[in-house]
Amino acid sequence: MSAKRTIFAATGFWLCLGGVVLAFLWHISVGAKAIPLGIVWQAITAPQDGVFDHVVVRDLRMPRAIFAISVGAALSVAGALMQGVTRNPLAEPGILGLMAGATFAVIIGIGWFGLAGTAYVPLFAAIGALIGAVLVWTIASAAPGGATPLTLILSGAAVGGFLYAIESAAILLNEDTFRNFRVWLSGSLARRDMATYLWALPWFIAGLIAALVIARQVTALAMGEETAAGLGVDTFRIKVIALGAVVVLTAAAVSVAGPLGFVGLVIPHVVRLFVGSDYRLIVPFSAIVGAGYVTLVDIAARVVLAPVEISTGIVTTMLGAPMFIWLVRAKL
Amino acid sequence: MSTTTLEGFGGRLALRVPYRAVLVSLCLTVAIIGVLTWSLMTGSYPLDGAQVWATLFGDPPSDTASTVVWEFRFPRTLVAFIVGAFLAFSGAALQYVARNPLADPSLVGVSQGAALVVVSVTILAPGMGYYLRPILAFGGSLVVAALILLASSSQRGGETLRFILMGIGVAALISSITSALLTYGDIDRAMSALGWLAGSVHSVGWDEVRWLTVTAIFVVPAFMAAARPLSAIRFGEDVATGLGIRVRMARWGLIILAVALAATAVAAVGPLGFVGLIAPHLARRLAHSGVGMHLVLTGLTGALLVGLADFAGRAAFAPIQIPAGLVTAIIGVPVFVALILRTQARSQL
Repeated sequence: MSAKRTIFAATGFWLCLGGVVLAFLWHISVGAKAIPLGIVWQAITAPQDGVFDHVVVRDLRMPRAIFAISVGAALSVAGALMQGVTRNPLAEPGILGLMAGATFAVIIGIGWFGLAGTAYVPLFAAIGALIGAVLVWTIASAAPGGATPLTLILSGAAVGGFLYAIESAAILLNEDTFRNFRVWLSGSLARRDMATYLWALPWFIAGLIAALVIARQVTALAMGEETAAGLGVDTFRIKVIALGAVVVLTAAAVSVAGPLGFVGLVIPHVVRLFVGSDYRLIVPFSAIVGAGYVTLVDIAARVVLAPVEISTGIVTTMLGAPMFIWLVRAKL
Repeated sequence: MSTTTLEGFGGRLALRVPYRAVLVSLCLTVAIIGVLTWSLMTGSYPLDGAQVWATLFGDPPSDTASTVVWEFRFPRTLVAFIVGAFLAFSGAALQYVARNPLADPSLVGVSQGAALVVVSVTILAPGMGYYLRPILAFGGSLVVAALILLASSSQRGGETLRFILMGIGVAALISSITSALLTYGDIDRAMSALGWLAGSVHSVGWDEVRWLTVTAIFVVPAFMAAARPLSAIRFGEDVATGLGIRVRMARWGLIILAVALAATAVAAVGPLGFVGLIAPHLARRLAHSGVGMHLVLTGLTGALLVGLADFAGRAAFAPIQIPAGLVTAIIGVPVFVALILRTQARSQL
């Protein structure tokens, strides 16, 4: 990277980070009782036990903002990695079955084995995501023409639809256990518990670090398998690490917030418009922009129809589906 | 193919009889009557076969039997059959017109369009006339189908699969709007809309039977008349034009008919996925025949499928009812996967 580009990228990075911090504070200040940004800041930096607003900020609102930031970063980075490694502009955890698999596994884990809030939730989600990904990939590669973007999306839709039907049937059969899942199934950050988040946190961190470490090789892979091999990249190893990172990130995001569709599709494409095709920039920028995006979407989900709140996943789908349609028209 | 040709008037009138197809359609009819009887017998107030038929022919063994059969089970089973046939017709027409083996009303956004309109009406204007529902659903589906067709048309060709991808995208968008409406709506109305959205024959009655029948009277003959252009269109646009078919008109007419059928079906029971996809393929597997006979077989297969799905959903975990839409999705997806695996590479981009 030239010195000029480095300065440019660094400036952009800090600006985006500042934007995310602002979005974070705004997210906390908005709600049934509006809390001024100054008091929010005070509550985070110098909390006092007796002040009611400080308690609201720290115990009720801040966890949700943290969830939004983590989930947004994880899903965007997962999407960026998938698009780079598979050279498929429409790759995304939601479209290619990972999210459906993780969701299904979490429902089984919590509903049948009673694992809510334990360390097993992200583990179940990861196994589910892996099985979903492998299933979609197997079906698509067995189709005539191999695993093209088209066959991948079709088999992703098939696997997703199948699992969704089984989930709905399971929910109907056991209303008491599954009542809480209705909202969660559409992807929501409301009333998630801190315990699950803490168990998912190491997964978030591991996935993000892995993504940053392999970013350089992913750039080479995005130029084509032969090019990457010629540049001395061990393509198989990088692919395995990338798959691992994507599975881990998706699993952590789903166990916290449920399925948030299209985040991983939209953000990397937007980021690519600004920073080009170098994954050393795309990965960190996707993380930051994705975090800000989901935080803002979550604010919108809470205020647009207040006092009722829309599931965050519904809003991300509403914003992301037009992007999907545009990509199908432009890139396929 | 084992066919015989009946001729009359010195060969001026000829009718080819495909034995196998006729035999299969007879078997399907018998199976449908079997499912009907079985489904009328089963439930929290069990009846035996003789009692069911006695009730249907106006000689009920008891008042309870009469109420159970006539008020609850019979309309419901009838609706399941009619809706199944409608969706199957619609799927077959879409597959012929788009020359795409994967076309299905729920995959091309018709179901979602109808669902959006019906949910909006249920939630935003609950007082609105019940009979307007199918018409509004038709409008909604037509708009969405047109959107998808426009969005997927392109100068570069290869519309077949792009059509499906557009359907997936538009369906996701519209479903998210529908879900947002559900969140916004009053809880009671949202719950009723939610039950309907899973594709349930649960709460239908004679009203649905009535307007489904009215639609059938208008649309199904038109469909049968369309068998001729269809059999030409499936060889491609050029061939059809050469045979003197007004392709553009026939194509749009058929799409509108297909949308109308699917929309009416969805308005009655909610989106039932994959029936329109599977039924035409199953029918083709059962017997090879011309387009007209294939449509008849498809209709019967669809009716049987939804009838069975409803029965299975009702009986498998009684007293809890699994909506027929979930059952058809669980059966339909493996078939969909098998079709993806078999779709020839040439129809891809």
